[in-house]
Amino acid sequence: MTTVTLQHLTRRFGNVAAVNALSLEIQSGEMVAFLGPSGCGKTTTLRMIVGLLLPSGGDILFDGKSMLTVPTEKRGAVMVFQKHLLFPTLTIAQNVGFGLRMRGLPQNEIAARVTEMLELVHLPGFENRRAHELSGGQQQRVALARGLIIRPRVLLLDEPLANLDANLRLEMRELIRSIQQELKITSIFVTHDQEEAVMLADRVALMFDGVLQQFDAPRVFYERPLNAAIARFYRSENFLSGIKRGSQVETALGTLRVTSSDAQPDGPVLLTVRPEDVAIGAGPDNNRITAKVTAVVYMGTHTQLQLNVDGRAWRAEGPADFTAQPGDTLSVHLPDKRIWLLPTES
Amino acid sequence: MQRLHLIEKLRVPLMLAPSLLILTLLFVGGLVVGLGQSLGYMPVIGLNNFTLRHYVDVLTDNNFLQSLWVTFRIAFFSTLFSTVLAVAFALILRETFVGSQLSTFMFQVPLPIPHLVAANGIVLLVTQSGLIARLLATVGLLNSPSDFPVLVFDRAGIAIILTYLWKEVPFIGLVVLAVLKSVGPEFEELARTLGAGRWQRFWFVLMPLILPGIVSTSIIVFAFIFASYEIPLLLGVRFPTTLPVWAFNNYRDPDLNLRPEAMAVSIILTVISIILLVAYRRLARYAVTA
Repeated sequence: MTTVTLQHLTRRFGNVAAVNALSLEIQSGEMVAFLGPSGCGKTTTLRMIVGLLLPSGGDILFDGKSMLTVPTEKRGAVMVFQKHLLFPTLTIAQNVGFGLRMRGLPQNEIAARVTEMLELVHLPGFENRRAHELSGGQQQRVALARGLIIRPRVLLLDEPLANLDANLRLEMRELIRSIQQELKITSIFVTHDQEEAVMLADRVALMFDGVLQQFDAPRVFYERPLNAAIARFYRSENFLSGIKRGSQVETALGTLRVTSSDAQPDGPVLLTVRPEDVAIGAGPDNNRITAKVTAVVYMGTHTQLQLNVDGRAWRAEGPADFTAQPGDTLSVHLPDKRIWLLPTES
Repeated sequence: MQRLHLIEKLRVPLMLAPSLLILTLLFVGGLVVGLGQSLGYMPVIGLNNFTLRHYVDVLTDNNFLQSLWVTFRIAFFSTLFSTVLAVAFALILRETFVGSQLSTFMFQVPLPIPHLVAANGIVLLVTQSGLIARLLATVGLLNSPSDFPVLVFDRAGIAIILTYLWKEVPFIGLVVLAVLKSVGPEFEELARTLGAGRWQRFWFVLMPLILPGIVSTSIIVFAFIFASYEIPLLLGVRFPTTLPVWAFNNYRDPDLNLRPEAMAVSIILTVISIILLVAYRRLARYAVTA
């Protein structure tokens, strides 16, 4: 049970800051996702935490103790890589027991713990097989067992599911989550998949260009993003400019009432509503705007509409049987509780 | 249709046939002729009966075991030191540092240089009148160049081993370097996170991965040194000589009656070489899977 604290953590490659003054605290037993597009610095951060990369500045603390002078092999932080990296010359049991062998534990204890770990990752009886005899998902489970067996202080997972197909990914997510909750190991995993972050993490650290944008529970990113870029990353591009005065926002399409009026100070704001919260068709008379349909896509469980709202492209979701044609004009309702206010974009 | 199918099946063997034919004629043909001569069959000088006499003569010769030991010792230590140094150099050269490209280039320089040139270079360097001896005497570390130890034409075969080191370290090193570069740093990084220290990472992670490369190159080097005569002939003592030098001396002797004995030595050398290499390969395979 370890608390991980990053204080102004920075890593520069030449003049480029891959990670810039990253500060956050991960609670003991918490599962945190580092989320962001490729090249945003999330893997670099992970490599600094585990000690494979030296920071250019800042500090990394485990339970309040700086790790900067502690070598990787003594940090007690285990990394599960994107590639499973099972040693090809070893059996599965030898792979799983590798960390214990490095610690000089007796063979019988290693064997007992290997058996226990293989059961935990649902691979009992695989001890004498070799890596090439296993499927991709099984290999990644072995890699996970190999990391867990040494009872690490911190478990770091670098896109561990990226090389798996959709079904296996789902299965592995559930397995990782259940094991993490059972063992209560402080865990950090890197992903560029919002869905994965939402499913697995207690909290998400979203990074763009080496800078931490928001560190919150997954739900908050959907409901209360801090800026338009974060909202966009979470697939919400419904924006409308306006001037906030108290609990009302004056827009080119009329005045809208908002509940989350304390999100931004009075003045110019950017209003956003998630596509699934835009109410199409009948509904309350207030908070209505006019939108022009530009495309209609039947999605099976619902209908997706692309709209033009004051010259901006919006998306909305309607019932599966909703019918509309491109060029139709719709009156849509924006529930005041679902409107969120963002600072204007520079 | 069936004919086309047959031609398609035979395409690759037919394409390989010319080179296979030449290889068979040169290697197997030479081996068969050599085997025949070693068994006393050499009609050109009137020997028409097969006999094991020449093998018995060689194997019961008092000098045989001594020569075999010299041959084995030179091949073994040259291969061992070459391998150790090659792995060490490869581990250094895989890193990126200022001048790493130039260092890698310099490391490869001995590869195209003939063994005879290398032997001459070693002579110029390490004889008592050589460059090192004179340099040490000039700077006052030796009273005179003749105080320098005898490293050429010595019983330990140091100059021979040094020549082979100079030639074979880059050969093994480049293969190991290529393997190390293809393996990449991930396995070692993973091992570090699992608690493996520097030596543990070398022995438990890198060694099993580079061992097949080491085994195959060191087999080639051992077999080459075990059977080569020119360096021991140039830099070795006259007695005890290595088995290839023994065979070569008998082979080029104007007395053709010594030819069967030369061939018997060569065949014995080949058989011992094969036995040692098979044993070594098995040992290495065991080490990889253990």
